[in-house]
Amino acid sequence: MTYGEELIRHIWPLALFLVMVGGLIVLMLTLPALLGGKRVSRAVNEPYECGIVPVGSTHFRMPIPFYLFAIFFVIFDLEVVFLFAWAVAVKETGWLGFTEALIFILILFAALIYLWRLGALDWRTSRQKLDLRNLDAR
Amino acid sequence: MQLLGIIISLLGGGVLALIVGRQSAAASRWLSLVSLAVASVFYASLWFDTTDPQATSLWLLHMDWPWIARFGIHLLLVTDGLSLVLIGLTLVLGYVALLSAWHEINHRCGLFYLNFLFTLAGVVGVFSALDLFLFFVFWEVMLVPMFLIIAIWGHEGRRYAATKFFIYTQASSLLMLAAMVGLVLLNLQQTEVWSFSWFTLTQTDTSGSLGMWLMLGFYLAFLVKLPGLPVHNWLPDAHTQAPTPGSILLAGILLKTGAYGLLRFVWPLFPDAASSFAPMAMGLGVFSVLYAAKLAFAQNDLKRLIAYTSISHMGFVSLGIFAWNHLGLQGTVMQMVGHGLSSAGLFAIAGLLQQRLHTRDLDKMGGLWGQMPKLAALSMLFAVAALGLPGLANFIGEFMVLVGVFQVAPWAASMAALGMILAPVYALIIMQKGFFGTAASTQTAGTSNVLDLNTSELLMLGVLVVGLVLLGFWPNLIFTITVAPVEYLMHLGKGG
Amino acid sequence: MNWLALTSLMPLLLVASISVILLLLLAFIRDHKLTCWITCLGLAMAAFWAFADMGDAPQQVTPLLIMDDFSRLLGGTVLLVSLACGWMSYTYLETADEIREEYYILLSLAALGACVLVASNHFASMFIGLELMSVSLFAMVGYMAHSKQQANMTLEAGVKYMVLSGVSSSFLLFGVALIYAYAGNLNIDLLVAAEGPRLQSGYLVIGSALLLVGVAFKMSWIPFHMWTPDVYQGAPAPVTGFLAGAVKVAVFAFAMRWLMMAQGGYLDLLLLGLTVMAVLSMVVGNLLALRQNNLKRLLGYSSIAHMGYIIVTLAASATLGAAALSTALEAAAIYLITYASMTMLAFAVISQLAAQDRRFESGTLAHYQGLLYQQPLLAGALMLAMLALAGMPLTAGFIGKYYLVLVAVDSQLWLLLSLLVLGSSLGLYYYLRVILVLCKTPVGDSRLTLGASEKLLLTLLVAVTLWLGLYPTPAIQWVQLAIQ
Repeated sequence: MTYGEELIRHIWPLALFLVMVGGLIVLMLTLPALLGGKRVSRAVNEPYECGIVPVGSTHFRMPIPFYLFAIFFVIFDLEVVFLFAWAVAVKETGWLGFTEALIFILILFAALIYLWRLGALDWRTSRQKLDLRNLDAR
Repeated sequence: MQLLGIIISLLGGGVLALIVGRQSAAASRWLSLVSLAVASVFYASLWFDTTDPQATSLWLLHMDWPWIARFGIHLLLVTDGLSLVLIGLTLVLGYVALLSAWHEINHRCGLFYLNFLFTLAGVVGVFSALDLFLFFVFWEVMLVPMFLIIAIWGHEGRRYAATKFFIYTQASSLLMLAAMVGLVLLNLQQTEVWSFSWFTLTQTDTSGSLGMWLMLGFYLAFLVKLPGLPVHNWLPDAHTQAPTPGSILLAGILLKTGAYGLLRFVWPLFPDAASSFAPMAMGLGVFSVLYAAKLAFAQNDLKRLIAYTSISHMGFVSLGIFAWNHLGLQGTVMQMVGHGLSSAGLFAIAGLLQQRLHTRDLDKMGGLWGQMPKLAALSMLFAVAALGLPGLANFIGEFMVLVGVFQVAPWAASMAALGMILAPVYALIIMQKGFFGTAASTQTAGTSNVLDLNTSELLMLGVLVVGLVLLGFWPNLIFTITVAPVEYLMHLGKGG
Repeated sequence: MNWLALTSLMPLLLVASISVILLLLLAFIRDHKLTCWITCLGLAMAAFWAFADMGDAPQQVTPLLIMDDFSRLLGGTVLLVSLACGWMSYTYLETADEIREEYYILLSLAALGACVLVASNHFASMFIGLELMSVSLFAMVGYMAHSKQQANMTLEAGVKYMVLSGVSSSFLLFGVALIYAYAGNLNIDLLVAAEGPRLQSGYLVIGSALLLVGVAFKMSWIPFHMWTPDVYQGAPAPVTGFLAGAVKVAVFAFAMRWLMMAQGGYLDLLLLGLTVMAVLSMVVGNLLALRQNNLKRLLGYSSIAHMGYIIVTLAASATLGAAALSTALEAAAIYLITYASMTMLAFAVISQLAAQDRRFESGTLAHYQGLLYQQPLLAGALMLAMLALAGMPLTAGFIGKYYLVLVAVDSQLWLLLSLLVLGSSLGLYYYLRVILVLCKTPVGDSRLTLGASEKLLLTLLVAVTLWLGLYPTPAIQWVQLAIQ
């Protein structure tokens, strides 16, 4: 087999995959344009063309701690995945594995302490904190 | 160790001048003078050692310390008669430039003398380093202080001129670096020894097309510095915009490093390539002589005019070197020294005129002979020196070069001889426009208190005059020292 | 893992422990000076440990990391760069209206990432190191988000860096995946063995090319350089120093392991790509630098050009064969070290100036006018850095340039050599422009003060830059030790 044939043998599944992906996108974009009816009316531009008429603005403000919670969840809860992998093989890894897992948990713990002291775990909004402080002062 | 003494006293003097210069400008001037004087004492001792009739070797070794062992690079400082002459020229012109700076440079004196002395030290290094790497280091390092001298203390277009000067030289020297590395690798292939030493590399077999390319790399770097056409373009700007001491150093010494490079490196390292390239190089030399002379004739700016005459004269140097016979080479050395002295004198005079008249425009001068006869008389002398009047050093140089060239390339000699006709045209135009004629020019009339030369200025120009006349009548002063080194170079340059 | 492996990994562990210690410290005490001291001390200890270990036998620590002399030398260099960065950050942050202490946690994490990258001989650890470094850098680049003068620039830079870095990481990861599909292993050294009969298989070629794109992004090789000028200009000066010094050294160290030592670059397509990027970076980088009016931006383009020059070593190693591979490696390592020293010098000056007046980093070059007479030490150091970057002898830059010329001539890469010469000549123009501005007559009377610690830092950096140029023998010996 020549080098060129070898190359083609290796590449063709990838090329096929790329062609299929591209084709799918083209199909998805062109088919509705061809098949779908075109009607202009006020309702067409609504988010839900049929069903409940939306009320109010879509641009509402979410409290920023919301994102923080999501990130803390990622950091602290999903780390369990790693510990799970260790737990499955706890006997095989022995004391070395234990030490490593311990260090891992300790580092997370340090991060927790840091966040705690930073006040990142305080759910209150800054307005509420201010009120609380005023309450204390009184 | 005298050479190290020269370099260290110049470098140390520079640093001290910077420190002292913060308090007092005068102190930094005197300190520079002292460091030059100390250097001269070392030089005197060097002179006696080199010209010692009992000396067994052509070379006087000063220093050979390992530097970068990985590539066999040494701190190799060696002098022979040729280096000796050029270092002497450097120091003499150092004094002249210092005297011209004495009154002209009034701000940031400490920094100026630092750069000034560092330039001198760099040039001395260039003339004595025989390890190619070290040579390259000095070659580049003398650029930076010179760049600053032009850029800080120069005239109206100084920054443009300084940048142009630096880029021309640096770009071409990068090519030289590549060629140098190529040569060292060639030597490594042949002998399996890393060495940058000139003494080793001259033994390398450089015949073949690779040798030609390597030679061209060196040639171009030296041609830019010389400068020769077609890469002369930086020079008129740099010389015009530099302050007077800067112009003196540039024309008097820095150009000579290019000629020295051709003499010391191009021929001995690449005898075959150089000899087959010689007609081309001589053609460029002839072209330089004639074309630059024509351009000089067309200038109004006094310093620019002198700058073009430099290119024209350095064309003779290029010719003499590529003739590569005894007469040509000896003439070249004499031409280098003579041109160094006479162009320094002309630039000094241009500086003095500018101080007095605040212009370099020849059209705005005229009739100065009546107002300052001493200055005019000396100008006359330098002008006729430049045009090659017998009895002055330049004549000896140009004559010998022409005779030498005639032996190998009569066509080149006869065409270059036309340059001897053009030279009086531009030399005399300086005199006619500047010093003769009516003094009715408005600017000149306005400055009623135009002063003639004072004692220190007379001293400065007097040194040059003495040098020119002395060498004009007694050229053997130089020839006795350079005859042996030149013979040796010729021997190497004849090829194996 | 044994005790020996652990001690040899000590530099990395030290840096990692800095960040944990700082976390705990900041939970209770907020003290800028103390934080900075701990960071610098830790980085210095780690660097010292790395250099002290030079000459010991290589230690493979898990399949992921190898602590050989190469890792120790370049890792130590990265740590020293980080140390200088931390040092210069103190004054810079002291005058900022930001929360200052967290910066040092990010810095130590970025340094750790860079060290992991240098020490990785496995694509997985390479990716971990790269991401650890990049993610910390996103925050560092955008650190001055609360400062009124800088907020816009710094945030733009941060976001730009994050988005483009993410894109490049995905390329890189895809490349690694393809290489895994080909070799069945992520160990870099095994690539050589796997290559054998099936040399230039499609998976390997495409995988390597994608991986190279990821590397090229970090090295800001043209055409993957778009982020460089904006990020260089927008990021705080010390961070820009880190980007220019540590990141480039670390990423190129990985490139050396992969493309040179493991011979991953012996692919025609890769060589072609490298040559094209070298040509573009040298020429376009220098051309674009000519008209820049902001010093950091100018240095950004200059770093593009310099990183273009260093490709010469990669190209040489692919054409030379094993015998002269060591010369190419030596040249690359020397170039990285010299480049790091002079870049850090330049950015140290800029950040000391910016600490007193932010216009020095965000404004035009005109702010530097006449600095030579107002602040000779700073301006002299900046001048030296410019001359070094321009490749003047007696400075570190010349040794690097000399090595590149040597490699290019040795392997007869005439195209790259001529462009190297051309690029360096173009480069002179803008380096000289900076010097000329410094020399101009000063306007107004600026009051700049320089504390003792800043003076010490500058003196050290100047000393290193000069030492590498004046007497490079020890550095060369270390590098030779490292590449064996």
